[in-house]
Amino acid sequence: MFGKAVCAICAVALVAGCKAQPAANQANAVIPSAETGNAASAAAPLSHDQALALMKQRHDHMEAFGDETKKVHNALQTSSPDVNAIRQSAAKIAELAPKLVSWFPAGTGADVGKTRAKAEIWQKPEDFALKGQDFETAANQFKVAADRGDLSQINTTFAALGKSCKACHDLYRAPEKH
Amino acid sequence: MTSTGHRKSTEAVVKRRVWDVPTRLFHWTLVVLVALAWWSAEYHEDDLHLYFGYGILSLLIFRIGWGIFGSSTARFSSFVPHPASVHRYVRDRFHWPTAGHAPLGALSVVALLVMLFVMVGTGLFALDEDGLFGGPLAYLVSIPASDLARELHEQLFNLLLALIALHVAAILLYRLVLGRNLLGPMITGKAKLAPDVQPMRPGKWWVALLALAAGIAITRWIIAGAPPFGS
Repeated sequence: MFGKAVCAICAVALVAGCKAQPAANQANAVIPSAETGNAASAAAPLSHDQALALMKQRHDHMEAFGDETKKVHNALQTSSPDVNAIRQSAAKIAELAPKLVSWFPAGTGADVGKTRAKAEIWQKPEDFALKGQDFETAANQFKVAADRGDLSQINTTFAALGKSCKACHDLYRAPEKH
Repeated sequence: MTSTGHRKSTEAVVKRRVWDVPTRLFHWTLVVLVALAWWSAEYHEDDLHLYFGYGILSLLIFRIGWGIFGSSTARFSSFVPHPASVHRYVRDRFHWPTAGHAPLGALSVVALLVMLFVMVGTGLFALDEDGLFGGPLAYLVSIPASDLARELHEQLFNLLLALIALHVAAILLYRLVLGRNLLGPMITGKAKLAPDVQPMRPGKWWVALLALAAGIAITRWIIAGAPPFGS
């Protein structure tokens, strides 16, 4: 009950926030470049259905990251980690990582549909893109370590990868609603 | 959540021991650790959260031992309530002739202990949503099972909070409505008892130490992933 009230307040606050910044709400279907994080390049705005489809896909992709990091975490808990399995997870993460920032075009926030993506993503696009870049770098370094099969390096780079997830989530992801 | 057998009469009352040192230390250490576990979860102090959880698990295992071999007022056999005794206690206007937990308080204690075991149990198998940290046994189960454990761990915490609130509210009510001080005895260990009230039979201090050692040892065993908790 309390949670719903908070949700409602947040939703109102978010809508209000977006109205105050019309530029941030200009949806477009063009995938923004990860280098600049410029989500507001000239293009046709996203339709409501397009936005929802994109958000669903984004959610699945983020879950996929989580599934892979969980597999790696579990593998590293065992006495003799399965390096091959870690390598596969690292490859999947490194393959998806460069695309992450492009899953967040303007018009895919909580004012449009169910998402934990915070409005700050579109208020600070440069910082968001930078965090995405850090994640991509960490994912590549983790992949290099996994390919090499060096466990201590895998551990260090996996910890760094986790930090890059957390750095972004702490700022740009809303807490889970129950 | 105890009845100290206090009566509104002019009978001579004497201060006598109702809670032993191990039980009181257990209680207050648990209060601190649960508060710290909550704080560390809210502020994403992941490593600390695991350590606080291990501390709580050690305490709970100690409490099982002390509940079987400890002082009379700490023993489960002396307080795990029967529905009839709860009914009689309420009918008798909250009079209870023995030092220790009265039936309603005992219900609360059992609920709290069970809830804490459930919290630790789900925590052992949970993985956080980003796969960055998790309980030491998470790798023994599937990822959906770990996700379920995390959901339960998060949701059931609200139930634990509700039980704690009820526990504190009841202590306040006893104080304000019935005029009985339950907080003092949990700090000093002593309460005013009517002469006809059965006093506490103390347990052995070395039994308490053994129970604590067992709690720490079993917890370390679980963390290390030793069989049957490991591959």
